[in-house]
Amino acid sequence: MNPFSTPRLLRSEYDLTLLWTVLALLALGVVMVYSASIATAEADRHVGYRSSYYFVRQLLFVGLSLGAGFVVFQIKVDVWQKWAPYLFGVGLLGLILVLIPGLGHEVNGSRRWLSLPILNLQPSEFMKFFVLLYAADYTVRKAAFMHSLKRGFVPMFMVMVLVGALLLREPDFGALAVMTAIAAAILFLGGLNWRLFLFLMVILAVSFVLLVVLSPYRFNRLIWFWNPWADPFGKGYQLTHALIAFGRGGWLGVGLGASVEKQLYLPEAHTDFLLAVIAEELGLVGVVLTIGLFVFVVWRAFAIGNRAASMERYFAALTAQGIGVWIAVQTIVNMGVNMGLLPTKGLTLPLLSYGGSGMMTNVLALALLLRIDYESRQMMRGQAT
Amino acid sequence: MNVGAKSTRLHLKLEGWRSRTLLLLLIGAFVGLGMRAVYLQSFNSGFLQQKGDERYSRVIEMPASRGIIRDRNGQPLAISTPSESIWASREDVEMKPEQTRALASLLSLDPAELNQRLNGGRGNFVYLKRQVTPETAQEIMGLKISGLYDQAGYHRAYPKGEETAHLVGFTDADDHGQEGVELAFQSLLGGAAGAKRVIKDRAGHIIEDVESIRVARPGQDVTLSVDGRIQHLAYRELRNAIALNHAKAGAVVILDTQTGEILALANYPDFDPNNREHLTGTQLRNRAITDTFEPGSTLKPFTIATALETGKVTPNTVIPTTGGQMTIGPAVIKDTHASNGLTVSQVIQHSSNVGAARIALSLPPESMWNTFTDVGFGQLPKLGFPGEAGGRVRPFKTWRPIEQATMAYGNGISVSLIQLARAYTIFANGGSLRTLSLTKVTGPAQSRTVISAQTAHQVSDMLELVVKPEGTAPAAQVRGYRVAGKTGTAHKVVAGRYANLYVASFVGFAPASNPRVLIAVMIDEPSGGRYYGGLVAAPVFSLLMGNVLQMLSIPPDDPNSGDFQIPASKTGAAEDT
Repeated sequence: MNPFSTPRLLRSEYDLTLLWTVLALLALGVVMVYSASIATAEADRHVGYRSSYYFVRQLLFVGLSLGAGFVVFQIKVDVWQKWAPYLFGVGLLGLILVLIPGLGHEVNGSRRWLSLPILNLQPSEFMKFFVLLYAADYTVRKAAFMHSLKRGFVPMFMVMVLVGALLLREPDFGALAVMTAIAAAILFLGGLNWRLFLFLMVILAVSFVLLVVLSPYRFNRLIWFWNPWADPFGKGYQLTHALIAFGRGGWLGVGLGASVEKQLYLPEAHTDFLLAVIAEELGLVGVVLTIGLFVFVVWRAFAIGNRAASMERYFAALTAQGIGVWIAVQTIVNMGVNMGLLPTKGLTLPLLSYGGSGMMTNVLALALLLRIDYESRQMMRGQAT
Repeated sequence: MNVGAKSTRLHLKLEGWRSRTLLLLLIGAFVGLGMRAVYLQSFNSGFLQQKGDERYSRVIEMPASRGIIRDRNGQPLAISTPSESIWASREDVEMKPEQTRALASLLSLDPAELNQRLNGGRGNFVYLKRQVTPETAQEIMGLKISGLYDQAGYHRAYPKGEETAHLVGFTDADDHGQEGVELAFQSLLGGAAGAKRVIKDRAGHIIEDVESIRVARPGQDVTLSVDGRIQHLAYRELRNAIALNHAKAGAVVILDTQTGEILALANYPDFDPNNREHLTGTQLRNRAITDTFEPGSTLKPFTIATALETGKVTPNTVIPTTGGQMTIGPAVIKDTHASNGLTVSQVIQHSSNVGAARIALSLPPESMWNTFTDVGFGQLPKLGFPGEAGGRVRPFKTWRPIEQATMAYGNGISVSLIQLARAYTIFANGGSLRTLSLTKVTGPAQSRTVISAQTAHQVSDMLELVVKPEGTAPAAQVRGYRVAGKTGTAHKVVAGRYANLYVASFVGFAPASNPRVLIAVMIDEPSGGRYYGGLVAAPVFSLLMGNVLQMLSIPPDDPNSGDFQIPASKTGAAEDT
């Protein structure tokens, strides 16, 4: 063997497997969104009864996101670190703007969308990305105080309380949960004192309980999912239909396009409950494959983070693993909701569910992940980044 | 850049166990999800699938196509064509003004009325219009109005319209027979709806056929005994006669005397079975079957036949008629023409009430009652027709002499036209009463002997005298054929009293030498100045009989009658009671 040959991993400049996995997820999403939305679109006057309405828009989102992802990939990781606080500020501004009547666009009782001339933006989706960058930068900056409650933990906590307060005004509880998870995970990875972390967990648990007690709406949402069959046509309507979709799918599914649940029975089939349609049409095989693809993405994110850490690129490492946590937590929560393990949250399935802002931010984050990996490979080849 | 220096400066150490723990936790969660999926999609899938079936699996009925009703020559009288019903889910209907206008015009409704239907009334479900042509339904669905649906079914069409309206009847919107043959033969025509299990989407559209539970059994066709051409003729002539005589109503029954088949059954007033929006009970009545009337003199032949059977009289026995008047207690029976003695034949020919009453009074009430009952009076004709009337014949034990006397000429008894027509088959068939049939008869005709052949022929001969110039109905003659028949003119009983309203009738058959066709005509309340059966009903009989005999290619049995004349003096005098 040629002693000068590069190790197999480094033969490519990019993590092509990760790239293809992400593209596969996006493709699966486009196909399933189309399948899941046909009936909804055909019955909806607001979209002009066009069966391909959501499909075409989803394709457009994927195209735009990949374009934006390509741009992000060109940007050095250091730049992101430098801009992290400002981007966080921009995110906060978005969260404030969306609450202003006239600017914020309300759907189903939630004020989550910012009406722009061309398209609607969902600031909370972008905020997930900015919180991630901010937390990673914060952890690197405050590295020396990670053992300290007052100087290491409290500032970040206060920032998150601010973000949380804004998000709950929309309300967007799901986004808050994901951001909290990202921030907590990054602090934990960054070496936050484990006693502090425990304290953080307790605080989180207490706030959850408080929220539940103070808001009966959430309390109700929280308890019925244990037994959706008690009220299958009321609160349990959506979940029971999702579960039926899983049951109908069986091992191999009823076949692509053959879902009955998507025929206006299962609400949000093309967004939050896309997995149920995958389960019905592609069966357990399809669900396990989808889970597998996500696990691979998460595993790669952690591996890329570990390699960056080994090169002492801490911001990059924390960002990479934060991206992994983000994708993982949002996927787990969404799937858990679909399968009746968690109460219903307004969380989409990353990369798959219909929606522009969510898709865009996920792809941006994954492009950054690929960039981090790219830079690591360049460094291993001995090239300066 | 000095990597080591950076590390020292930041005091940051990313410990491997932390990322490993976190990754393990996350992957553990994914594995948990996978296990949950396995549970839901294999172990629990039976339960979930069953719950799913409860939600959207439905058993739906597959309408069976209804059988065709045909006349004896195969001409359709009632056929089913595919049609659609347009229904709406009130809560879901959303329409723009122009859609409302387009829909209203397609449904031929007023926009205000359409809105009223959509917004008024209870419940969510409303039929906007039933029995719409498939083309119209397609146009309506093309408007893409949410909350609007169509449902396939059948529409019943009646090609002969009014002509066969009472006979054929009609079905309701659910394709069930409501009247006439449609109701009488419902079980045969209706078939049995099939059923299949389907999966419906939330809007109610069938998206998948799961299994067939029961195959629809299409209804069977029914071939009636009725001849469309004869029916057409009967209907047309009845209408003309009613118009001519300014009558209130009327009916015609035409029988094949050899098979008992009903060749025509026409009624007036009529209705259009294809458009029943303004249908009234008067129009709907199948008078020939559901209405009874006091037959009057058409009943005399049965009295005479009873007397002949007992042997007490012969056709030539002279009956004293005492100047055309007779007193029983306080009651007086009168003839229209005074005479002091008539043979039994002449009693029929001149329709003498006094003669018939005297003959009747010589008979035991039971023997008259037996004859009346044997020929079917007072009993349901059992044709299977809805609303059949049995008529009324009081038990003979309660008859007072005056009643027995008047019953001899058809008062105090009520019959329907179809009963009367059937009863006359005994004179046309050598004493046997034919069983009537609405459907084409293929086997041997059924009959039951009521009187002897000799008596039947004797009465038939007397009935032939009725249409002679000296009889009460020369207008019933048919060129080329020997005709036998009897007129009837009965006072109508209004509120228990005889009013100055009449029912004119004529029942007869031809050719008398070998009877083939029997026609009974009834005209209710003629008010054109003439009301005698011989003047009002007999001409209708004559016209119909002539045409029917020709249509059926029945050879003339009286070729020499070609130049018969109705004596001018008799036309105004052909009277009876």
